[in-house]
Amino acid sequence: MTLQNCIYLSTILFCIGIYGVLTRRNLIGILLSIEIILNAANINFIAFSHFSASDAAAGSIFPIFVMAVSASEMAVALAIIISLYRQSNNLDSRLLRSLHG
Amino acid sequence: MSADSAFYFTAGLITLFSLLVVTVPNLLHAALALIASFFVTAAFYLMCSMEFVALAQIMVYIGGVVILMVITILLTAQLGAKNLFPKTMGQRIWGFMACSALGASMFAAISRVEGGIVGKGIPATGSGDLETLGRRLLESDADGFLVPFELISILLLTALLGAVVVARKGQRINK
Repeated sequence: MTLQNCIYLSTILFCIGIYGVLTRRNLIGILLSIEIILNAANINFIAFSHFSASDAAAGSIFPIFVMAVSASEMAVALAIIISLYRQSNNLDSRLLRSLHG
Repeated sequence: MSADSAFYFTAGLITLFSLLVVTVPNLLHAALALIASFFVTAAFYLMCSMEFVALAQIMVYIGGVVILMVITILLTAQLGAKNLFPKTMGQRIWGFMACSALGASMFAAISRVEGGIVGKGIPATGSGDLETLGRRLLESDADGFLVPFELISILLLTALLGAVVVARKGQRINK
């Protein structure tokens, strides 16, 4: 378990999340993929703070902030999704064109 | 089990569950795989001796965020309907090519660092304990994180109020 292996792990997770964002068509599926990307960022923070930080407490405070931001993001996004579903009864990202101009 | 094999086991499980999240067609199964992936990530945090972050991961992510998403999935997706949104093959191929190009370039950039990315040698220990974290989080001097903490609190409050306003019944966005 070295720092480089941890960075490889978070790179793989990031790419998996990007793949999910690009290929999922349901809006909730896209949100799940974004969660994977945030998880990869947290793993990077934790790995750097464990292996190379002189001040390791700061490295474990940052993931807490990431969690708070992602929780508020999920609340707003799911509210938007519920509102959209109530209006148009579908969540396909290809059929939602009301902001297309 | 040595630390290395434990790390590889954990990393493999995280990757496997994350792949399941982006590939299974049923969204409820994807959310369950995401819960499993977060649990294994919490185990990884424990291996890095960050106990508080591991517990926060389990409570905030698994207990809060993913459960909220599961409830939304149950409210919106017609789970019985087969192939609700069939993935087109072209989309998959383009997505795979894009993300593998991104991953390959990032891997190349990481492995080009002279002698590999190494830490300062000795892994930090005992820094993730609750007392240190709590003091740092609420200290107002140069070492503390009081201002970001308060900003995050305001952000959470605003986001929750905004979520209630957006999801309120009887509202139409584009009339």
